[in-house]
Amino acid sequence: MKRAVLPCNGLDKQHGVLARELALSLSETQGAEIICPVLLNTAPARYEKALADAFLLVVDGCPTRCASKLAGKLGLRVDDKVLVSEQAKSAGLEVGVSLRPGPVGMRLVEIMAKGLAEPKDTSAEQVSTGEFESPGDFLTVTYDKFIFNIPTQDYLFNENDCWVRVIGGRARVGVTDFVQQNMTDITYFEPAEVGKQVEQFDEVGSLESGKSMMDTLSPVSGRIVAVNTQLVDSPELVNEDPYGKGWIAEIELRDFDSDRELLLDGVAYSKIVEKKAAEAQH
Amino acid sequence: MPEDTFMGVKREKIDWSPTIDYSKCDFCMECDKFCPHYVFERRDEDPKLVVANPTNCVVFCRACAKTCGPDAISFPSKPETIAKIKKIREEEGEQ
Repeated sequence: MKRAVLPCNGLDKQHGVLARELALSLSETQGAEIICPVLLNTAPARYEKALADAFLLVVDGCPTRCASKLAGKLGLRVDDKVLVSEQAKSAGLEVGVSLRPGPVGMRLVEIMAKGLAEPKDTSAEQVSTGEFESPGDFLTVTYDKFIFNIPTQDYLFNENDCWVRVIGGRARVGVTDFVQQNMTDITYFEPAEVGKQVEQFDEVGSLESGKSMMDTLSPVSGRIVAVNTQLVDSPELVNEDPYGKGWIAEIELRDFDSDRELLLDGVAYSKIVEKKAAEAQH
Repeated sequence: MPEDTFMGVKREKIDWSPTIDYSKCDFCMECDKFCPHYVFERRDEDPKLVVANPTNCVVFCRACAKTCGPDAISFPSKPETIAKIKKIREEEGEQ
């Protein structure tokens, strides 16, 4: 599969400069086509061919994430993302303040390029039990022209618009219909790390659309045992089936009785949706 | 405006909002541009950005910190906040 790389090209920041260097390195070693963010912004049609059916990697220098935002604005399907400042942190490298890449910066570029050389092996992460079916019964909240579905059985919710469905010692979590309708077309999913221990309300995967960004705040505490890797290629599943195929993560429960205290059933959550829908219109 | 609560607890009783480390903040305003809840406010005088409406902040949301290039935004601990919310609920009885 051909690859395309969209760097932020942040010329006035040390990490942005390295985003450009990483794009150059991937172009030289893996034949990735470089998408210039400036030209893409001015004349997106110029890259239509390069982006069609390509594996698109977005490289942001700093958390302002200009390249990601540009991709979101243009509705591009993003297959992978790298944040240089985060990579520097996890590699324990201080790249200095110079806007010309130095030896440490180039070492970081090398590390990042190496990490991107092979497609990610996600097979080990797919240990989902597959016992979770889409919900049967819904209640609906109608506001203006919007209709929000809320499953009435087996699902619980937190006030941060995330759901949980528990089967045995495991739970699947995701975002509600209210979230997906507010975000509109979801274009990017960043899964959480499998194996990670999370507290209740910790981030367990994030979603982006051209309109906004949202972290899934886990309704339960425990260990992440699976993430929905299907969403990496098809984030639109969250729009199509937020309570079923659009699930975000599977968690081995640690203390559900305690988590339950801060969860709502469908009827109680519908009151929250009513309130939020009314606020969103004003 | 409906009463502002989180899990039945009055929002002003919950200490959850961003803190800006002014020794790191470069006033790029990305957090303010991102946050749809008007938690931040820009000022003409220094500091040019303040956490003006902390109770507008969505309890447990830390998304603005992700937009912060210089990593100048911090939040309280989630487990401690959860414990406090549970305690208040217990004291006030189920709402």
